[in-house]
Parts: sequence; structure tokens; C-alpha cells
Amino acid sequence: MGKNRVKNNIRKLRFFRDEMTQQQLAEKVGVTRQTIIAMEQEKYSPSLELAFRIALVFEVPLIEVFFYDAEAEPK
Amino acid sequence: MSFQEKNITVSLVNFTLILGFYLIRVFQMIQGGSFNSTNIFRLWGIIIALAIVVTILATILTHIVSAIIHVIKTREEPNIEDIQDERDDLIDSKGTKITYAASSIGVALSMLTFVLGQPPLVMFTLLIFFGVLAQIIGDASRLYLYRRGF
Repeated sequence: MGKNRVKNNIRKLRFFRDEMTQQQLAEKVGVTRQTIIAMEQEKYSPSLELAFRIALVFEVPLIEVFFYDAEAEPK
Repeated sequence: MSFQEKNITVSLVNFTLILGFYLIRVFQMIQGGSFNSTNIFRLWGIIIALAIVVTILATILTHIVSAIIHVIKTREEPNIEDIQDERDDLIDSKGTKITYAASSIGVALSMLTFVLGQPPLVMFTLLIFFGVLAQIIGDASRLYLYRRGF
């Protein structure tokens, strides 16, 4: 499996939302807490639908939550 | 440990025990001179019944016991996180793919015994062995993916 190049700011955004817990975010977007942990550790890239749901919870555009690390692209 | 991880662990332990039981019975038959088609097919029936009944019972018991332990420890109502999300589906799909691949290799190896001039009984004995082994490999790979994150 290739390296995950989809990065995210979920941890930071949770912090700025009054330290929203991983469990609270998981319940809001309808996934397990383990999935939120896997995303924060950048081990799992969510589907586009889940990515949009997370962005809606934080009320920010999708690009502020997820971004693609093009510099890590193999030459 | 999540709800899915508990289920996989229970299944993994069950199938490992079932495989152990199967191997012991087969070796006992070989040593006792009762290695024939009637006994092997009876053992097939026992293994399939065990795989279904024990897995269901063990899964139910595990969740009851873990809920009781949770209540005793925390004095709170147990929070059973039984939702299956997209990551669970992907892990399950990868595990199934690995199970099928292992099973296919097992069937091919079992068939190979014909080429080596072995009787059909050997092929049938190996078929169920590789079937259970494929399930163990699939469960182990699912558990590995859960532990790693994905």
C-alpha cells in the first residue's frame, strides 16, 4: 500500500471547537471513534461524503479540513 | 477494543480451536486405523456445525460478559458501539478477499494430491483443513488492519 498523501486538520479543528472529543465528532458524522483516530493519524482517507460531513460539522470549506500533500508525490 | 474487533477476535479463537480439534481427530483416526470416508464426512459435519453454533454462542457470551465487566468497573450503562461504518466495510472487504485467496490456494493444493496419486479421501481431508485455515488467515488480516488503523 502506498503512503497516505491525504492530510487533515481534524485535531486542530476539534481543538478550536472547545476541545470537541473524538467520540462527539464520531457521533455527529456517524462513524466509530476508531475511524476518527485512524483519520487523525493519517492512516485512513475517508470517502468524499464523510469528508464533506466532517467539514459541515466544523462549518468550514472542505479544503480547510483535508488537503493533498503534492510534495510527497513520487518523482 | 471496538465491537468489530471483539467479534473478529472471538471468531479467530473459535476457528483456531476448531482447527486444532480437527487435526487431533484426523491424527487419532490415522493412528487408530479408522481413517475412512464415513468417519471423515462425519467429522466434516461436526466441524461445520461447530463453526456455526460455537461462533454464534461465543459472540453472544463475549458481549454479555464484557458488558457485565464494564458495568462492574465503571458503574455506568454499557455503551455498545455496534455501528458499522465505511472503514469497517473496507476492512471486511479486504479480509474477505484474503480469505478467498487463501481458500483458492488451499483448494488448488488439495487438488494437487490427485496428481501425486493420493486417494480422494486425502483431498477431502485437506479441503476442510484449508477452508478453516483460510478463515483464520482472513480474521487475522482483519484484526491486523484494525490494529494498524487501516
